[in-house]
Amino acid sequence: MDISSQLNLSTETFFQQLEKDKDSIQNSWLHITNTLNAALKRQDTKAMLDLIPYMEQGDGLSAYEHIGESRKILTILHFTQLELAYQKTPFILDCTDKNSLLEKYTLALFALRRLSFRLSETSTEEAAGWLLDNRPSVFAIYVILQEEMIIPDADLYGIIVEICSAYWTADEQQLFISLAAGN
Amino acid sequence: MDEHKFCFILCTNNNLLLEEALHYIGHLIIPEGYTTELLTVTDADSMTSGYNEAMASSNAKYKIYMHQDVFILNPYFLSDVLAIFQSDASIGLIGMTGYETVSPDGVMWHSGSRIGTPYQRKAVYPPLSEYRYSLSRDGYQAAALIDGFMMITSQDYLWNTESLTGWDFYDAYHSLTFLLGGHKIVVPAQRHPWCMHDDGGVLNLTNYNQYRQMFMRTYHDLLGKHYSEIGRQENTTPLSR
Repeated sequence: MDISSQLNLSTETFFQQLEKDKDSIQNSWLHITNTLNAALKRQDTKAMLDLIPYMEQGDGLSAYEHIGESRKILTILHFTQLELAYQKTPFILDCTDKNSLLEKYTLALFALRRLSFRLSETSTEEAAGWLLDNRPSVFAIYVILQEEMIIPDADLYGIIVEICSAYWTADEQQLFISLAAGN
Repeated sequence: MDEHKFCFILCTNNNLLLEEALHYIGHLIIPEGYTTELLTVTDADSMTSGYNEAMASSNAKYKIYMHQDVFILNPYFLSDVLAIFQSDASIGLIGMTGYETVSPDGVMWHSGSRIGTPYQRKAVYPPLSEYRYSLSRDGYQAAALIDGFMMITSQDYLWNTESLTGWDFYDAYHSLTFLLGGHKIVVPAQRHPWCMHDDGGVLNLTNYNQYRQMFMRTYHDLLGKHYSEIGRQENTTPLSR
């Protein structure tokens, strides 16, 4: 079989499998969405964190593989777990459903990117303002920087510490610096 | 047609993304003597219908069709694009990433001939503040197809609304329309990516296969072909205005 035929065959197989999996992907995404909406409404962190094994090893894996938003949700759950373990104010606080949570996450990412690219003074000031108003934890910021499309460098870490020192304790600042140094 | 005008065209269904994309557009340096306009199409029926609607209402020579999740990083983007178009009148379409050959299975990114510089986490780029593109030093590469997250045109060809009623394959079809119309498609060599396309890392391929099948039927003769093997066809002419 020549290379073109092999490629065609493997592509056909991929799409046939995708078609077969369509319902299970949608069902697992529905389960993630419903669980998250209900858990956020009650601020039930246990129910929320139960989604981690579901998405990493259970039926939710298919949603994780095929639906972009599910990856962001898993990232949020990971740093929420750390925030709760270290008794920090969780990022999810005040988010009442999946959409408001993802909106807050997206705005956090945008703020960090603006600090990274430094397009203008106004742009960085707005970004700093968002961080100061919403006060994301060391864990939230660090994990977003590791997981998202952004290239953190020493300058960016320094700017973040400078801004967040307004609400991070000295220990939190040190923790962030240590985590950043580990990269 | 205003030869000194750029038009940004975005189909949008998410204000958060749109506003951020516009924030980056707002920081671009506009070449002297040129103007810009912005057209957004909200909740279009399809990418092609939204793009046609916007195209018809703009008299700008240069149209920048882009996704709402694209953030333009290169502040000199407009003058760099202009330099490329002005360097060769046969260049009709510029992309940020592209492919030199049409993949035999119709899936653009399977062609194995990607060109351009997508923004990637693990990559090392020069600092954006120090980056400046030079047409003579950096140049560009020719492509058969470009990725639809950013398509910059100097010619108006109608987008194919008849076949393409969704959100897939408009880029491949439109690229071939340009090649068959006798235009070159190029991708600038970017030491720092000019844009960031943050599509969440996962492509929505729910309806992709039906358009792939259609693409393979329509362009059967071009599958596996290098851009240099795809020439002008007489029945492909730009939209007359």
